[in-house]
Amino acid sequence: MQIKKTLFSVVLSLQLITAVGQEDDLFSLMDIPETTEFTYATFKGTRIINAQSNETPGRGVLQYVISHRFGSFSNDYLYNFLGLDIAQIRMQLDYGVTDRLNIGVGRSSFNKVADGFIKYRLLRQTSGAEEFPFGLTLYSSTNYRGARYTDGVDHFLTDRLSFHHQAIFARKFDESFSLLVAPSAVHWNLVPGPNDPNTTFHLQIGGRYKITNRLALTGEYNYGSNYEYSDGQRFYAPFALGVDLETGGHVFQFHISNTNAMSDPLWVATNPYNPLDGSLFLGFNISRVFTVRD
Amino acid sequence: MALLALTTSAFSQQYLTREATLSFDAGSPLEDIYAVSESASAVYDAATGKLGVQVLMTSFQFKRALMQEHFNENYAESEKFPKAQFTGVFQGGEAIGQLTIHGQTKDIAVPCEILEADGSLILIAEFPVNIEEFGIAIPGAVADKIAKDAKVQVKATLKKRA
Repeated sequence: MQIKKTLFSVVLSLQLITAVGQEDDLFSLMDIPETTEFTYATFKGTRIINAQSNETPGRGVLQYVISHRFGSFSNDYLYNFLGLDIAQIRMQLDYGVTDRLNIGVGRSSFNKVADGFIKYRLLRQTSGAEEFPFGLTLYSSTNYRGARYTDGVDHFLTDRLSFHHQAIFARKFDESFSLLVAPSAVHWNLVPGPNDPNTTFHLQIGGRYKITNRLALTGEYNYGSNYEYSDGQRFYAPFALGVDLETGGHVFQFHISNTNAMSDPLWVATNPYNPLDGSLFLGFNISRVFTVRD
Repeated sequence: MALLALTTSAFSQQYLTREATLSFDAGSPLEDIYAVSESASAVYDAATGKLGVQVLMTSFQFKRALMQEHFNENYAESEKFPKAQFTGVFQGGEAIGQLTIHGQTKDIAVPCEILEADGSLILIAEFPVNIEEFGIAIPGAVADKIAKDAKVQVKATLKKRA
């Protein structure tokens, strides 16, 4: 009898404990288990400044980007009306086929280059239940030089082509700081001399730091494997510092850099401007997105 | 023994879902701003009247990917404040308690219905949420495009816990 009583009270108290526990835990029942989330907005724009970011427009989004690079401080700056008179311009139209695939075309005034590009987000950084530490975006562009050659030689169409292929590794460290490292290769079908490399290798490093929800500082640097060619041309590593400003469907990017070309191989591999000579250019990129397919 | 039966019955008065539909409409004539989450959770204890609803900010789906990014990045700040929730009681056709959005908690009392159907409970609520009251700043440039009060709708079918 004694044993039965003890057993009964043990069972009872256990039940009570469970009941009390259940009561306190009612709201914890609704706690949503951690899910895996794609990291968003590693960078604001599809470019940091000149360099491609890992971002692509979403599916069904048409993006128009207009960019200017004004004349440098060392080139009759006031006579050229703060460089406006000799501004270089680029227009770009691109489309998000899927959330990962982006295709586009562009036209840049420097050397009258027309280009087409394809960009694909192969890996995306995730957080939550299953974490993946970085994103990987592949990018490839084909560029056609429209400017006339002045060397008196009849050039094939293929001479005018150049290519840029890139693997962009990006990581958003926290809500304000993101970094990317992008090894890339530039290939020219035509180089000045037989001993000059047709393919050069490059490494781009870029970052952004958000100051407020809509304002961020950006910076990038691009190192190249060969900057000297047999015809005496000497090139410099391009870098840029900028500010990203976002309002609704627009991203405004204002920056200063030592390059005024905007089509890929030209700014990446053959930038003739030495910043130490005062060859620094102010510029902007403005993007506008249109959702054309819901 | 009577106590034992009582605790068991209290246990079975709890209803739960993790597939509640929670939407909000903060649109204006200038811009269509509508998002819906199909994975909100809701709990209700019929014995005590306690009611809770929770939603992950990143689970809201917008028509436009960019709008969704802006919502999480610039307005809700979902990395800092991942969840919105209501905890309180259902009493006399009202949900009375605390609403937490964007890390800020306010007392609210809003009309709410709980109906019984086939052993499940159906929860329906619709109420306005003043966006700025929860510390979500709307910049002047887009002030005309975003409603001052977002219209929130909750629809959930809660199943009895086994």
